[in-house]
Amino acid sequence: MLSIALGELIQIFRNRLVLVTSFIMPTAVSAYFIRQHEVFADLGSLGYIAAVVVFTVGAFGLYTTTVTTLASRRQNLFLKRLRSTPAGDADILSGLMLPVTVLALVQVVAILVVLASVAGEPANVPLLAAAVLSTVVMMLGLGLATAGLTNSPEHAQVTTLPVSLGTIAVASWVGITGTEELTLVKRLLPGGSATELVLNAWNGGVPVADSLLLLAPTLSWVVVAIALASRLFRWEPRR
Amino acid sequence: MTSTPVIDVERLNLSYGDFHAVKDLTFQVRKGELYALLGTNGAGKTSTLETVEGHRAATSGTVRVFGQSPRDRRSVRPRMGIMLQESGFSPDLTVKESVRMIGTLSRRRDRVERVLDVVDLTHKAGTKVSQLSGGEKRRLDFATAVYGKPELIFLDEPTTGLDIQSRDALWDAVDKLREDGSTIVLTTHYLEEAQARADRVGLMHKGAFHQEGTVAELTRTLPAVIRFSLPAAAPALPLRAARESDGRVLVETFGLQETLYALLDWAHANGLELRELEAGPTRLDDVFRAIGDD
Repeated sequence: MLSIALGELIQIFRNRLVLVTSFIMPTAVSAYFIRQHEVFADLGSLGYIAAVVVFTVGAFGLYTTTVTTLASRRQNLFLKRLRSTPAGDADILSGLMLPVTVLALVQVVAILVVLASVAGEPANVPLLAAAVLSTVVMMLGLGLATAGLTNSPEHAQVTTLPVSLGTIAVASWVGITGTEELTLVKRLLPGGSATELVLNAWNGGVPVADSLLLLAPTLSWVVVAIALASRLFRWEPRR
Repeated sequence: MTSTPVIDVERLNLSYGDFHAVKDLTFQVRKGELYALLGTNGAGKTSTLETVEGHRAATSGTVRVFGQSPRDRRSVRPRMGIMLQESGFSPDLTVKESVRMIGTLSRRRDRVERVLDVVDLTHKAGTKVSQLSGGEKRRLDFATAVYGKPELIFLDEPTTGLDIQSRDALWDAVDKLREDGSTIVLTTHYLEEAQARADRVGLMHKGAFHQEGTVAELTRTLPAVIRFSLPAAAPALPLRAARESDGRVLVETFGLQETLYALLDWAHANGLELRELEAGPTRLDDVFRAIGDD
């Protein structure tokens, strides 16, 4: 797995386009939110900014890159090549996704540290970590499932739009309007409960036990995404 | 050479929806053999090969490699090297990085430098795969397949796109691997390569074996051919012959030497010259062409 991950890491740093997509763009967008944090705090809360940061990086830096990478590796038969070795499927996928996952986590942590230093620390850091990690796992699962429906990297530009824009829209909706109304709908949408968890972790004021229950919908989306991926994911291009 | 089967396929069937791609195929490949799996386009050889490699599950029947299911990658793959028909490398990795990665994953021990030397890519070690020519990519493919000298090597169209020097070098490397005991499964459209090197040939047509055996066994089912031109005023030939569209005489025979002796004696006795004389044993090409006549 590590040799595959090393290969992916080398490629990320060699390919300027991938660098821009997976690193500079989410960082720039997030930097904008931090710079304008007072404006956004008026809309909702600092937790809302944190949630948008998490989902911006998660959607563009992690989810889109995961789909594009897997579609590209499938299209040029690299997945088939890897499956010609003793490496297991889980090892192959882990190796391919590890670098971009680590990069996304580093981006999120770095941006949230900056946010905390300029706007105030989160109320519950472990809860925030749980929210970030569960979101990352959900986006990876959704990425695997979407990659099954994506024939090529070019195709990924279209197939990733519903989930990437959808999760950011849900995060904005939940972040701005809260969950007092349409609670069930907001929590069941992908990213809804994760956003609420980020809000609770950053803003505080909600019992931890109540907040932890919000992990369930997010992890349910992981299960759904993995189930979809196991049916949809292909290792070779369609003939 | 021993008779231990490295590959044991019994009543293999493969279907894609309603299409029956491989039908009741049974064959074995023994340790140390070079087995050529040949066939017409769409004959089912790629499906068969991918099933034996473990890339595809059989619809029915059994496939054993080293006595185990080829789907059990962890136990079987360290003992086999696979040269795919198409390259399948990361374009942004260098040649050396690619060989190192696949070599590490193979769990076999070898030196990247040695393998690159075998395929004459040492000078391209630092070049990105995307900058290689088609022939160089094929050699890189071969390098990853033979990394660590595996016991079983699948070569899928190994010489396609290679110049003659590279082909010779590749076959020299294969010969050395065979001397070390490797078993080779080959598919190729260059039938002269299979004719020259295969211990046995499985000739597929429409999902099943049309014929299987040694090259000699396959070619002896068809007559050898003698062709020549004669002047219009020549006397009648002493044996049965046909005229081709260009006017040349065509003689088919299962006793090439005896027939040639008879023809040359007849020509000498009549003061004739057999112009543009061509004679040769039956080739795999002829066996292939005969499939289409069936």
